[in-house]
Amino acid sequence: MNTLWKKTYAWIDERVDLRQLVDFMGKKYVPVHRGFLWYYFGGVTLFLFIIQVITGILLLLYYKASDQLAFESIQFIMSKVQFGWLIRSIHSWSANLFILSAVIHMFSVMFERGYRAPREITWLTGMFMLFLGLGFGFSGYLLPWNELAYFATKVGTEIPGVIPIIGKPVMEFLRGGPDVTGATLSRFFGFHVAVFPGLFTVFLGIHLLLVQRQGMSIPEHLEHEKLDESKRMPFFPNFLLRDLLLWLIVLNVLAILAVFFPWDLGKKADLFASAPAGIHPEWYFLFMFQTLKYIPSKVFFMDGEVLGVLLFGLAFALWTLIPFWDRRTARGSASRRVTYIALLALMYIIVFTILGWLL
Amino acid sequence: MALVKRIIGLAVGGALLLLPIISLPAPAAQDKCYECHSTLGDAPSKAFLVDVHRSKGISCAGCHGGNSATDDMDSAMSARAGFLGVPKGDDISARCASCHADESKMRSFGSSLPTNQYANLKASVHGAPAVSGKGSIAQCITCHHAHGILHVKDPRSPVNHANVVALCASCHSNAALIRQYNPSLPIDQLEKYKTSVHGMRYAKGDTKVAVCVSCHGTHDIFSSKDVRSKVYPTNIPGTCKTCHADADYMKAYGIPTDQYEKYAASVHGIALLQKNDVSAPACNGCHGNHGATPPGVESISAVCGTCHALNADLFSKSPHKRAFDALGVPECEICHGNHGIAPPTDAMLGVDSAAVCSQCHAPDDSSRGFATARAMRKLMDSVSVTEQRAGLLIGEAEQRGMEVSEAKFQLRDARQFRLQARTAVHAFNEQQFSDVAHKSLAVSEAVEGEARAALDEFVFRRTGLGVSTLIITVLAVALFLTIRRIEKKPPGTS
Repeated sequence: MNTLWKKTYAWIDERVDLRQLVDFMGKKYVPVHRGFLWYYFGGVTLFLFIIQVITGILLLLYYKASDQLAFESIQFIMSKVQFGWLIRSIHSWSANLFILSAVIHMFSVMFERGYRAPREITWLTGMFMLFLGLGFGFSGYLLPWNELAYFATKVGTEIPGVIPIIGKPVMEFLRGGPDVTGATLSRFFGFHVAVFPGLFTVFLGIHLLLVQRQGMSIPEHLEHEKLDESKRMPFFPNFLLRDLLLWLIVLNVLAILAVFFPWDLGKKADLFASAPAGIHPEWYFLFMFQTLKYIPSKVFFMDGEVLGVLLFGLAFALWTLIPFWDRRTARGSASRRVTYIALLALMYIIVFTILGWLL
Repeated sequence: MALVKRIIGLAVGGALLLLPIISLPAPAAQDKCYECHSTLGDAPSKAFLVDVHRSKGISCAGCHGGNSATDDMDSAMSARAGFLGVPKGDDISARCASCHADESKMRSFGSSLPTNQYANLKASVHGAPAVSGKGSIAQCITCHHAHGILHVKDPRSPVNHANVVALCASCHSNAALIRQYNPSLPIDQLEKYKTSVHGMRYAKGDTKVAVCVSCHGTHDIFSSKDVRSKVYPTNIPGTCKTCHADADYMKAYGIPTDQYEKYAASVHGIALLQKNDVSAPACNGCHGNHGATPPGVESISAVCGTCHALNADLFSKSPHKRAFDALGVPECEICHGNHGIAPPTDAMLGVDSAAVCSQCHAPDDSSRGFATARAMRKLMDSVSVTEQRAGLLIGEAEQRGMEVSEAKFQLRDARQFRLQARTAVHAFNEQQFSDVAHKSLAVSEAVEGEARAALDEFVFRRTGLGVSTLIITVLAVALFLTIRRIEKKPPGTS
């Protein structure tokens, strides 16, 4: 067996010069420090994305993206297709854990100032992927064409519609018309399985390439210290195996969630029915949804909802561009202000998500 | 003795002759208007002679204004004296209401009449604008007349029990008039009424029997589609009950007075009175509105078929039809009752003591009735139990998070076929019943199969999860040990 392995390796090495890659991997280290644990979340997010791709492709084999058949096709997947229930439940659970893991990853990078030069592009691609992840969630939520998803999408697509001048065209572009109809479903399906994955793959490629090329970010206070053997861990095989171990645990959690809490399908959307009580978006949009509810209808001369949407837009833009305006960190001294802003944002998101869930 | 009798006879005869004079109302003091007009011999003053208002001392000026105390025409009918002339349109009823809506005025005349008639009339269907454009459809004088107004109990009054049917019919049987207001409103109420028990008794002079106003009200008449109407579907049983549940009132007629009580507890009564289902029959649903039976129904015993058409059709083709006709017994009523119809249950079918079939069919029955009833009940029980079991299993599978919505939907077919089987009972034909009942059984059994498969799948999932979790955990432990082994090695060794 050992000989066979060596022969195979030699055969491939002869053709693609594996040695160079192995040498590179052998010299790659992960710094060991207080915040070491956070390094795992990038890997977990990647693992969950891979699961999404695999289960998504399997669902595609039976899913029918039409307002007449979408709900029934998922019903069919869940009741008739062998292990269809498992695939769908894992896809839904994994989608939520993916967002959660990506948000944790983003905040850990934020607190550790991992975005600072020369990793601005890594941060930007990461933020774009997070936004795409939210897009995946928003578009995927509608695909079962059930009552909750239908009305949540109706409310969700109305929100950009309030932006002056560009709002209405954006809303109509998202909906494929003035209302949420079968055309919206086809459009969201296209975004979900083609546009977003295509873009995501490009950003993911750049992100991973840069992580490999630049190595893991080291916290500012350790940056100028020489890391001895005890303060660094070889990426291969140590860190990779630890990553794999965590992936196995995540897989186990996913399987338990999928079996014990199968994702509910709800009632088929009825375009003529009135909106059911208690409609709300997915949990990761709740903090924004709740904020918009609290803003008064008029703030000075501005419409409250417009103000809310514009403020969120501005906040996300500033957040994404942090490597470019956080000059203190760029100069090499820790910026406490960024820590406070990040903490405040985190607390705000948690509190408003809980409020949105409870109220 | 004969002389005494003769004197008494003369006294009574004289008194009877003088009665019209004695009963004439007391004239209004100083009613100069009446004094002049009566000499002219005009119709209003002739009619006013017996008017109830005159007896209360109300002069012409009471309605027309002016000064009735002077015989100077110019002064009596001057604007200064408040002369109004002949009121027109809604001013007519407003003149009546100036006293009749004023409780203190009415009491000053010693009247105990209600004072809400005008308000009721204005709100009623007759208070709507007339097509002539001159006020409401009906004014007070439309029914009570203008100058010869008599007490309602006076047999000469148009609103007296004896005359009120003709009064209502004077407009409501006039096609040309009614068409202007509601072209879909029938005009044959009087003709139908004459065929009803109420109408026939009325024709014989029964003074207690229901007339138009008994059911529709007097001043407060609303369209039967108006929920305030006494004849709105949910109000009809209460309206009929007014007389029919009054044992004293109905004593002379010798009919039961518990119909309302029974009806209210019946399947129809619960639907109408508790669930406000206006499609459920009220009293008139079976007994008709103005006529003796609903339109197109030959006999009240066949009235159920107007709604329960399929059951009636099956029954009419069944062996029971001939037998019941021969015995002269009512059709549906013999098994289901009349006013107190309870929701039918499967227990009505069969040969045990609770079953209605056993009222006529015995084991030594020469017909096949006994055997048929027994066989149908057995199959019906089987249908119900199988459907119930399938429902329970589907519920259990659903509760465990299994996707069984399609099977659950199919179960509706089983219920539908069971209901059809219950209808098919009325053919009293075992084969016909069995064909439908087996359709229900087949669906229930298929659903039960799917529910059991879902429950098995549930067990499989849990077992599968256990096995896969175990495998993943073993792999994770192995990986963990590998990592520990690698990390224990001093650097540089491989």
